Amino acid sequence: MKSAKKIVKITLQVGFFVVMSRASDLAVEALRLPIPGSILGLLALFALLELNIVKLAWIELGAEWLVAQMLLFFVPATVGIVRYKPLIESSGAAILVTILLSTAVVMTIAGWVGERLGKASREEAASL
Amino acid sequence: MTLVWPAFTILVYFCSKWLYARTRKLYLTPLVVTPAVVIGALLLSGSSYDTFDRGGHWIGEMIGPATISLAVTLHKQIHVLKKHARAIVAGVTAGGLAAVAVSAGLARLFGLAAPIVDSLAPKSATTPVAVSVSGALGGLSTITAVATLATGLTGMLVGPLLVRWMRIRSSVGRGILLGTAAHSAGIAKALEYDADAGACAGIAMVCTAFVTLCAAGPIVALFR
Repeated sequence: MKSAKKIVKITLQVGFFVVMSRASDLAVEALRLPIPGSILGLLALFALLELNIVKLAWIELGAEWLVAQMLLFFVPATVGIVRYKPLIESSGAAILVTILLSTAVVMTIAGWVGERLGKASREEAASL
Repeated sequence: MTLVWPAFTILVYFCSKWLYARTRKLYLTPLVVTPAVVIGALLLSGSSYDTFDRGGHWIGEMIGPATISLAVTLHKQIHVLKKHARAIVAGVTAGGLAAVAVSAGLARLFGLAAPIVDSLAPKSATTPVAVSVSGALGGLSTITAVATLATGLTGMLVGPLLVRWMRIRSSVGRGILLGTAAHSAGIAKALEYDADAGACAGIAMVCTAFVTLCAAGPIVALFR
């Protein structure tokens, strides 16, 4: 019985996120904002959580479920690749090399900066 | 009839998730296995992508609610951002700007068409943001989704090597390295080091999304 209750809770909470997503899409359209609806929704919900207007416990289970199944939601977009066979044949290799090299460069830069400053702030904290 | 493809997709997804949990082999991640099996089934049955999309588009529409749910991640981990603000902001900004510039620059250098350059530029951001930035730039959402997936997988493979070669020992550095470049795949890898690295990667992913959102337009314009 406990797990049935949990399923109902998750369903209702996921429903909340679906409603919030629709509402923020409509708001972005109506106000002609230059950001995606989902980002407006993310910022709005973050503010509501920080201000304690929305309690974490009301939506935590639903959020955990959505994040855990995130990969599923990208399957349709990925399956769409079947429509791009000529592009993959002509440019697939160049695209792959771009992805490999740029990812390595980004990691090197972000990691180097993060490690240096991360260490500096820890030493500062230690010397206090 | 229209429910056959989404039902099949969800079934394959949960089977591959189970398989991945048991084997932990990177090439068995549900995001590789599920589309591969679904594409195979589409081709074998002679069905078109439109048939699949008619029944299954709502699965993709869940990306919106899932993105909003990242607010909960941000809320729970905001203390990590406060504690390591300087390192995270500097590392993510440098990495996020470099991600757009290097991706667009290399794509341009290899002579790829403008819509492909636009599709590749935002690929270090988390997929929903990457796809919507790509759309705003003039890119193709499918190419961006697949490129973002490939970026995540690359990050999972190359990240730990770079961590070793560059002797990155702090959880903060490891988290920033993985979260900035490889979004949620990077978080998964960072969590294998420790919880702190995972939290930093989570915050880095959300911050990278904002950097990409703000900077992709002007940076990509430089490579036109």
